[in-house]
Amino acid sequence: MTRKKAALAYIANDASRKATFKKRKNGLMKKVSELSTLCGIEACAIVYSQYQAEPEVWPSTLGARRAIARFKNMSEMDQSRRMVNQQEFIRQRIVKAEEQLKKQLHENREREIVQVMYRALVGEGLQGLTIVDLNDLGWMLDKTGKEIEERIKELKKSAPSSEQAASAELQADKAAPENHAALNDVVAVEGLEATQNQPWYMDLLKPRNEGDALNLSRNDPMPSYPYGNPAPSWSDFYFP
Amino acid sequence: MAKKPSLGRQKIAISKIPKKNHLQVTFSKRRSGLFKKASELCTLCGVDIGIIVFSPASKVFSFGHPEVEFIIDRFLAQDPAPPDSGECRLIEAHRNANLRDLNGILTQVLEELEVERKRGEALDEMRRESQRQCWWEAPIDELGLCELEQLGGSMEELKKNVMRWINELMVDSCSPNGEIAYESKPLEANGAYNLGHVYNLHDQNGLF
Repeated sequence: MTRKKAALAYIANDASRKATFKKRKNGLMKKVSELSTLCGIEACAIVYSQYQAEPEVWPSTLGARRAIARFKNMSEMDQSRRMVNQQEFIRQRIVKAEEQLKKQLHENREREIVQVMYRALVGEGLQGLTIVDLNDLGWMLDKTGKEIEERIKELKKSAPSSEQAASAELQADKAAPENHAALNDVVAVEGLEATQNQPWYMDLLKPRNEGDALNLSRNDPMPSYPYGNPAPSWSDFYFP
Repeated sequence: MAKKPSLGRQKIAISKIPKKNHLQVTFSKRRSGLFKKASELCTLCGVDIGIIVFSPASKVFSFGHPEVEFIIDRFLAQDPAPPDSGECRLIEAHRNANLRDLNGILTQVLEELEVERKRGEALDEMRRESQRQCWWEAPIDELGLCELEQLGGSMEELKKNVMRWINELMVDSCSPNGEIAYESKPLEANGAYNLGHVYNLHDQNGLF
């Protein structure tokens, strides 16, 4: 069985077209038969082709006549409500595909922004992002921030008081908000101090140790990764 | 945000489905698939087809090329050849041209969809990779209280910087995207899909 995707166009090559017709026509009849059996419903299929004088019919001439008679017995409205020709059907397919595409674009955009967010958190600069990107980034930060708050509330509800005390301690430990090193160029304009001390995000880079979560000492060596360098071009890790 | 894997293709016995819900769902999907196959057969081989299907609820679905009624009439009249005349041929020519266009559009959209799906998978893969190395990228549910508080604080900081940076850009240039459409709006991809154009962050099509 070949699995090459056929283009949605008339097959010019006669031999190829004939072979395709034979296969697909058989497949179609099989599908109609399965549908009828699986769902216990009445159906018929009629195929006229250049290869046969008489049409190919499922289930049989008699069966088809019966189905047609039942069809004609229904009101005009009932008949036409779910009636489609090629044009209408293909249009429906286009609409469906466009909806799926829109959804997929949206999902991919979210994934991208999440990546941007995590990269920004570890110090990659915000240069190279458009206002639109920054907007979305702000939105994502808000959204994730809320989730984190919710989760913290949940945990605090069920957490024993000792953990709460410890976390309060940790909060006190944290110094005043430090500056995002990669923004030095930008924030210098606003007169904020560019600190050469460990930026706030450095703590995030410590490997996670089980049972060691409370011990986030600032004396640990700085991990070596580039920060404060000119931001890499975003096009580097977005697919060309 | 990985999609839940569906059950995929499963072999089933060809006999009436016992459960009503299952039956209804199957009918819906297979009927749709059947029409799709018929449509493709018409396009690929240039044949005329008529299909009539009654639903479990006794509603009727029909597909016909050129039209359901033509096929029915032709079949009942036991007429092997369709009516042929100059006028008929002209109508047919128009119809076929129109169908060619529609199929062309459909093909393009399907291709773009495929491209985006692959991108989605690649992005997911990247995310899984980095989650292995960076604890703060793990799902929120997996983080401990301290980690959460730290992460939350870092995010607040970053948020401030982002807002500052936005203001910088606004002040610097008269951006074509005038105002900051920034409230808690849900993410909305603009419907535009540029043919053959791969979506990237430099695009002005953002989430709003």
